[in-house]
Amino acid sequence: MQYSTVEEQRSLNVSLDQPASSAARPDGEAISFSILVERYGDEIYRYSWHLARNQADADDLYQETLLKAFRAYTRLPADANHRAWLYKIASNTFISDLRKRGRDHRLTDTMEYQLADPTPDPVSGLDARDLLSDVELFVNGLPPKQRLALVMRKYQNLGYDQIASALDSSEAAARANVHEALRKLRSQFADRLEV
Amino acid sequence: MADQHSLHFSRDGIVFEPMPRAKGNHSTDTFMNTATKYTTPAFPTLLERASSPDCDPCDLAEDAMPAMICGDLTPPEETWVENHVAHCGYCARVLASFSECSSRLDSVIDAPSTRAVPPPAPAALLGLHEGRYGFMETPVGPVLIVVTDRGVAEISYLAHRSAQDAMREIEQRGILAHERQAAVGEVIDQLSQYFDGRLRVFHVPVDLYGISDFTKQVLAATNEVPYGVYRTYGQIATAIGRAGASRAVGNALGRNPVPVIVPCHRIIRSDGSMGWYTGGAGIKRTLLDIEGVSLGQQASSGQARLAL
Repeated sequence: MQYSTVEEQRSLNVSLDQPASSAARPDGEAISFSILVERYGDEIYRYSWHLARNQADADDLYQETLLKAFRAYTRLPADANHRAWLYKIASNTFISDLRKRGRDHRLTDTMEYQLADPTPDPVSGLDARDLLSDVELFVNGLPPKQRLALVMRKYQNLGYDQIASALDSSEAAARANVHEALRKLRSQFADRLEV
Repeated sequence: MADQHSLHFSRDGIVFEPMPRAKGNHSTDTFMNTATKYTTPAFPTLLERASSPDCDPCDLAEDAMPAMICGDLTPPEETWVENHVAHCGYCARVLASFSECSSRLDSVIDAPSTRAVPPPAPAALLGLHEGRYGFMETPVGPVLIVVTDRGVAEISYLAHRSAQDAMREIEQRGILAHERQAAVGEVIDQLSQYFDGRLRVFHVPVDLYGISDFTKQVLAATNEVPYGVYRTYGQIATAIGRAGASRAVGNALGRNPVPVIVPCHRIIRSDGSMGWYTGGAGIKRTLLDIEGVSLGQQASSGQARLAL
C-alpha cells in the first residue's frame, strides 16, 4: 500500500490543496501556513523585490512579511482572501519601513533620478538601458500608495479588488492610484519616447 | 426634561454627570462604520459624459487612456475611445505614448535586475524546523505523514479532520513542511507492513521537536509496551514516577504526534474499557484487533459505549 508517485497519490484523493472530501467544510477551510507559502510565496517574494529593489532588502521584507503572517494566520477567517492578505502585510511592512528610514531613502532615489542624463539621443537607442533604469527610479519615487498599486497591477497582475483590500482602500481608489501613476509616468517620459 | 434626566445615571446614590459633548463631534460614527466607509459616489460613466453637450471629447479620451492601457474599460467605452482616436491625430499620439510607457514598464519587469531569484526557504527564514509531508491510505482512513531530518515527526489521521487542520497543528509545533511524497516512503512501507500484521516493531527514528518534556516521558514509557500487550493509564503514570497522574497521562497520549509508531493505542483505562483515542475509538479498536489484543467482555461493552 505504498504510494510513491504523484499519480498514485492523486488516486488517494487527498492532498493539502484538496482535502479529503469527508473532512471538507462547505464554508471554506482554514489554511495551513505551508500551503500559504506554497501558493503565494514566490509572488510575494517577487513583490518584495519590486518594492525593495535589491536582494538584501527584498529578503528582509519577505522575511518580515512571513513572520507576521505566521504569527497571525491561525486567526484568519476560513473565507479570507489569503492572497490579498499577504500583499497587505507586505505593503504595510514596506510602507512602515519607508517611514522608519525617513526621507533619506527617498531623497536618494529622487536625486539619482534627477542626475540621469536629461538629454538622451532618442535615435541611437543607446539610451534604452538608461531609460529603463529611469523608469524604474521614477516608479520607486512615486507616492507609496500609487507605487504599490501600480506594482500590484502591472507587475503582479492583481485585480483591483485584491489591490483595494491590500491597500485598505476602495476599488475606485485603487484604480485611481494606478491610473494616476501612469499619467505621471507619461508626462515624465513622453518627450523621451519615440512615438 | 425627561431626556435630560436620562443622561444622568447613578450608582450607590452617587449621581454621575456625563461629560459635556464636544461640538462637532457627531460624525465619528461615519468613520467607524465600515459598511459606509468606501461607498463610491455614482460618477457618470464615460459614455454618459460623452453624450453630454458640453463634453470635450479630447479631454474625456485622454482621461480614459490610463484605464484603456490597463484594460479597465468596458468594450463599448473602448470602442468610443478608439473611434475618437481614429479621427483625432493629437489623441492618437497621446494614446501611443501611453502604450509606449506601458511597454517600458513591462520591460522594467523583464529586466535582469528585477528578475527575482527563487525565494529563500521559509522554514529557515522563520527559524522553524523543516519537514516533508506525504499521504498514505490505510485501513483506518487516510493519514498525513511528516518527516524531518531527525525522524518521523507526525502521523495524523484524516478520517475526521482536514489535512490543513492537521498541518496547522504541526506548524504550531514549529515544523514547516513541504510536500515530498518520496520522503515518507520508508514510513509508508513500515506502516503498510504493520497494518498487514507483518511488522511488530518499527525501525524509524522519531522527532519529538516541540513536544513538552512530560509528554516525551509518557511517550517513552508507552514505547516500552510490547506488541499485542496493553497497559493502563495508571501503570504508565507509575512507570514515570507520577503515580496517580493517569488523567495527565491520558492527556499527554492525546498529544502523541506519532500514533501507531508510539503505541498509545495499547494504553487503556483501568476498568478495561478502551478510553479516548486520537482519531476516534474505532481506530484504537482496529489497531488492537490487528495486534490480536482482546480486552475481554467488560472491555468490549466499554468499547461499544464509546464508539456508538
